[in-house]
Amino acid sequence: MGARVAGVGILTGWGEGPAALPAEARTAAAGRAVLPIDRPALDGERFRRATRECLLGVAAVQAMLADAGLDRAAIRGERTALLFVTAAAYGASNAEFLAGRAGTLHFPYTAPSALSGEVAIEFGLTGAYVILIGGAPATIDALWQASRLLAEGRCDRALVLVVETFEECEALWRRARWTLPLPLVETAACALLAQSDGAPAAYRAAAAPAALETAAETRAGRTLAGAPLIALGLARAAGESVARVTGTWRGRTAGIDLAVAREAARV
Amino acid sequence: MAAGIRSRAAALLIAAGADLRGRARLGAAPARIAVVVGTALGGVEELEHALDHDPTPRRAFDALYDAPGHALADWLGARGPVLTVSAACASGATALGVGADLLREGAADLVVAGGYDVLCRFVLRGFDALRSLTRERVRPFDRRRSGLLLGEAAGLVLLARERDVRGPRLGRLLGHGSASDASHVAAPDPNGRGLEAAIRAALAAADVAPGDLDFVSAHGTGTPLNDRIETAVLRRVLGARAEAIPVNSIKGALGHTMGAAAALEAIMCLLAAREGLIPPTAGFEEPDPSCGLDYVPGTCRAVRPRLMLSTSLGFGGCNAALVLERA
Repeated sequence: MGARVAGVGILTGWGEGPAALPAEARTAAAGRAVLPIDRPALDGERFRRATRECLLGVAAVQAMLADAGLDRAAIRGERTALLFVTAAAYGASNAEFLAGRAGTLHFPYTAPSALSGEVAIEFGLTGAYVILIGGAPATIDALWQASRLLAEGRCDRALVLVVETFEECEALWRRARWTLPLPLVETAACALLAQSDGAPAAYRAAAAPAALETAAETRAGRTLAGAPLIALGLARAAGESVARVTGTWRGRTAGIDLAVAREAARV
Repeated sequence: MAAGIRSRAAALLIAAGADLRGRARLGAAPARIAVVVGTALGGVEELEHALDHDPTPRRAFDALYDAPGHALADWLGARGPVLTVSAACASGATALGVGADLLREGAADLVVAGGYDVLCRFVLRGFDALRSLTRERVRPFDRRRSGLLLGEAAGLVLLARERDVRGPRLGRLLGHGSASDASHVAAPDPNGRGLEAAIRAALAAADVAPGDLDFVSAHGTGTPLNDRIETAVLRRVLGARAEAIPVNSIKGALGHTMGAAAALEAIMCLLAAREGLIPPTAGFEEPDPSCGLDYVPGTCRAVRPRLMLSTSLGFGGCNAALVLERA
């Protein structure tokens, strides 16, 4: 049993979806170091205390559902796995807590798992649950984990969710050489993987960046863990049937080949 | 702190790596050695320094939660996958599970896996604000339990495929499972549904029936809610044998070591099986009628368990379970 990408939702500092990405991020940024995403306007009392990054996670899943042509009931329950990845999205909540600006109940929101926890609550996701910290290779690790869970029948569908925020700690991130070349572009993205009849996705160390990695970085800018999902979004928008996705971070590269569905999702 | 190591978290993790390397040989090509570590609050102490008074680029890089895992990989000379899991206080168990998956899929031949967390002002303030810290001693499953105390630790194991093991081994990781509560960011699901799902997934992956378990290492934080919920879940899963299977928590002795906790508890299970002695639940003296399992009071129990279950829970609705077998 293999896995196919049945939907990709992408929100970036450039707007919604791959179509919002410029041809060349550095030029389009016009000297801006960080391109933020506005706090999503989501209804509900439950979101009153939620952080901006939590809301971005929810909004990314909503965007994925729209891309896949599904409603939220289709992903609810214990047969949906959730794999969340970020390199830096906990920075804002940690800085808030350190500065003493947050209330006493804010502490749990400093954990990276608060973001995925809010997403799980909102969509009723009670299946397998993994949270990875790191850049693009961590997202590839998550895509591979999702493929493995599907191949072993441990879930019927898997969400790979990435959120990266930089605005609240801009001074910190922009002074780090590893964020160069700027701009840092905030990203909230979610890919839906579903079972397919093909071979399981193979996990491999990439020898060189794939064309999609280069395209994602050129068009979107520095999105850290977001780049592989932006690459999948570009592949789906281009009608490609197989996406070769690679990522590099802290001198390590990883890659995975994934089938991409062109038809509406049946998950 | 070793030269070139810039954070306490990295130093702690590398100290555990040095201890591991003294006990087991990393006999594989560097590109085939993976590192998978779990942490609840990885680099937050570095983040505090970076935001407060140290404007260097290196400090910003170390502030990211995955920095200590990469520092360990560099120190070990491991060039395979390097993963950092942050499933709050279930991180160590999830890391061992992910490490086992890397082996099974052939992505590595050896995996250094475990968990760590350091104590710092940030985490002490946080748990204190939630009123989770006890003012007396930690008493898991005890009628008088009133909260947890934090500990600082790192624990690592070397995972290899069965056929590749050279020399003595401590035991086997037969299966693992995880599940989300989808209930509350800061509190466990009142019915423990996520924990139950994680345990059942781990047992299924291990192909072990609940009644065949010989010992349970519980999360057992000593908070009123956790211990009651965990007990109820174990009663449901273990069924008629629930009261016959010893259940302990080592948090009364070590404190809650967050990202390291589940790794330490897995190691404790395997050492208990090797030595034929199950450690007692330190601090457990007066049974709570709402709990009521065999929590190994007082002294070590002379039992040599074969099949063992270890459970973990954490913020964000994280649940994880491991099924282990003695060597």
